[in-house]
Amino acid sequence: MISTKDLNLYYEDYHALRDMFFEAEPGEMIGLIGPNGCGKSTLLRTINGLLKPSSGVMYVDGKDIHKLNLSEIAKTCSNVPTEFPPDFNLNVIEVVMMGRYPHRKGLWWETDDDEAIARDALSKFEITHLADRNINRLSSGERQRTLIAKAYVQEPRVMLIDEPTSHLDMRFKLEVMEYIRDLMEKERDMTVVIASHDINLMVKYCDRIILVKQGHIVGIGTPEEIVTEKNIADVYGVECSVFRDSSGEVIVHPRCSLKFKS
Amino acid sequence: MSDSGSLINKGKHRLLMVIAIGLPLIVLIFSISLAFGPVKMNIPDVWQSIINIIKYGPETGHERIIYYLRMPRVLGAFAIGIGLSIAGAVFQAIIRNPLVDPYITGVSSGAGFGAVMAMTSGIAVTAISINYFVPVAAFVGGLVAFSFTFMIAEGSGGRAINYVLGGVIVGMGFGSLTTILMILSDDQVHRILMFLFGSFTGITWAKLWIIIIPILVMSAVVLFYAREFNVVLLGDEQARQLGLNVKRFKISMLVLASLLTSFCVAFVGIIGFVGLIVPHTARMIVGGDHRLLLPASMVIGAIIMAVADLIAKLAYVPVELPVGAIMTLIGVPFFAYLLMRRGKEYAA
Repeated sequence: MISTKDLNLYYEDYHALRDMFFEAEPGEMIGLIGPNGCGKSTLLRTINGLLKPSSGVMYVDGKDIHKLNLSEIAKTCSNVPTEFPPDFNLNVIEVVMMGRYPHRKGLWWETDDDEAIARDALSKFEITHLADRNINRLSSGERQRTLIAKAYVQEPRVMLIDEPTSHLDMRFKLEVMEYIRDLMEKERDMTVVIASHDINLMVKYCDRIILVKQGHIVGIGTPEEIVTEKNIADVYGVECSVFRDSSGEVIVHPRCSLKFKS
Repeated sequence: MSDSGSLINKGKHRLLMVIAIGLPLIVLIFSISLAFGPVKMNIPDVWQSIINIIKYGPETGHERIIYYLRMPRVLGAFAIGIGLSIAGAVFQAIIRNPLVDPYITGVSSGAGFGAVMAMTSGIAVTAISINYFVPVAAFVGGLVAFSFTFMIAEGSGGRAINYVLGGVIVGMGFGSLTTILMILSDDQVHRILMFLFGSFTGITWAKLWIIIIPILVMSAVVLFYAREFNVVLLGDEQARQLGLNVKRFKISMLVLASLLTSFCVAFVGIIGFVGLIVPHTARMIVGGDHRLLLPASMVIGAIIMAVADLIAKLAYVPVELPVGAIMTLIGVPFFAYLLMRRGKEYAA
């Protein structure tokens, strides 16, 4: 579904992505982790064609994403932003309906099909009761679900989610991830890539983890393979314990920054 | 399923409501504008006169007043109200902030300067050159002013408050240039002042067509892109990610809105705050969807402009007040209120 090789990207003279190479299968949920500024968001923006790599090709759904026009990209990739700008009295259903923009047929108005798809997404993410609510009057978790619903009705092959849980409390974090996981069960041929700082959450929900350090991919593999005490120390500079809790889930517990370790 | 029914049908229904409520109001204000002035008539007589004018042409004194003076004037007010409101709605959507309008962003002042320069340069002396040369000069002035504001605002962070401040600075600059021009051609001071204050008195039938057609065409272009204006509200990256060429869309729409503003300024002078008040009021009534917001803005804009002109005409009979001043008096408290209530949300 996503495939890239020798991917390099420079911001002027800053080498943001270095020789990246990975593949992601349909139906896979990939967690993208790494410290601040390691290139996670840059990589997401390269996958959906917002940024053009300096070298290498990004194939999404078998097509070179940078050779597609904006509208074709929009039907291939959708993304869920971390933040949402202050709005102009938009309500939930209106925002979700905008996800149908790449599939527009008529002028001006959406079709009844568009609306049926949007309503279906509302019920999938359990925000039907909020349909007419102003998007700024939602809780963070509800807003996140609205934005995911918007990305979903775009009917993409790949959904990119940047920091979905950074403003959420413990319960909303889990709920948002459950909704995404649930979506994956139903849409078996969609690939989801999530960039996040919450390693435990990524370990819990993702099929595979990509660990990034200074624009390099340090490792790709199952959460157990990638999230090790050695890797975390190497990439984050943090001493941590990785262990299984009583239910058998892998837990990362940071102990101290190596910088302050004498 | 929500119990509110189909969103699309609801949208279409509300659009019909806007038209069904708006048209009678427009006809009403049209009749009142024809009836009232230094010479008072009553509304049934006005309609009788209109029928006579259609049948036989303007014959009596009242019919002449209606046909030659009041009718082009109120139709011009409608058109200018529509133009400035659409321009305001465009600025607000593209800069993504309801605190901006063509006046605040300095475009009106730039266009005013361009128009005054054309008037005082001696080129625009005949009716034809006034009708064509002044608008072109206003276009250039408006575009230059907007480019300055754009550069200042984007250079200082691109937030709405930067546009407000950048626009104020640019507006002051062009205002001073206009003052200098005015002093240098002191035989025309009165004429220029009356122009700058904004007025519909000079609108003749010949001018009216030159005003109405481009305004309606440009407004139609904006209406055509209503859905794209909605998408832009999601933010640049989201809009681009939905398949809209954001940069091209924004720049072409900002240029279009500047042209629309300059065009209005060229014929009736500087009338501020219409583009601020109208889209905001429309947004409170019909919500943020531009497919409703833009038509509602056209209706409200036409009405508010004609009402302001009525006030200008009737408040101190026989002296006519400049309609620009009336609009500003309405707009200033409105803007202050908005800034206090909503400024915190939108300036950040």
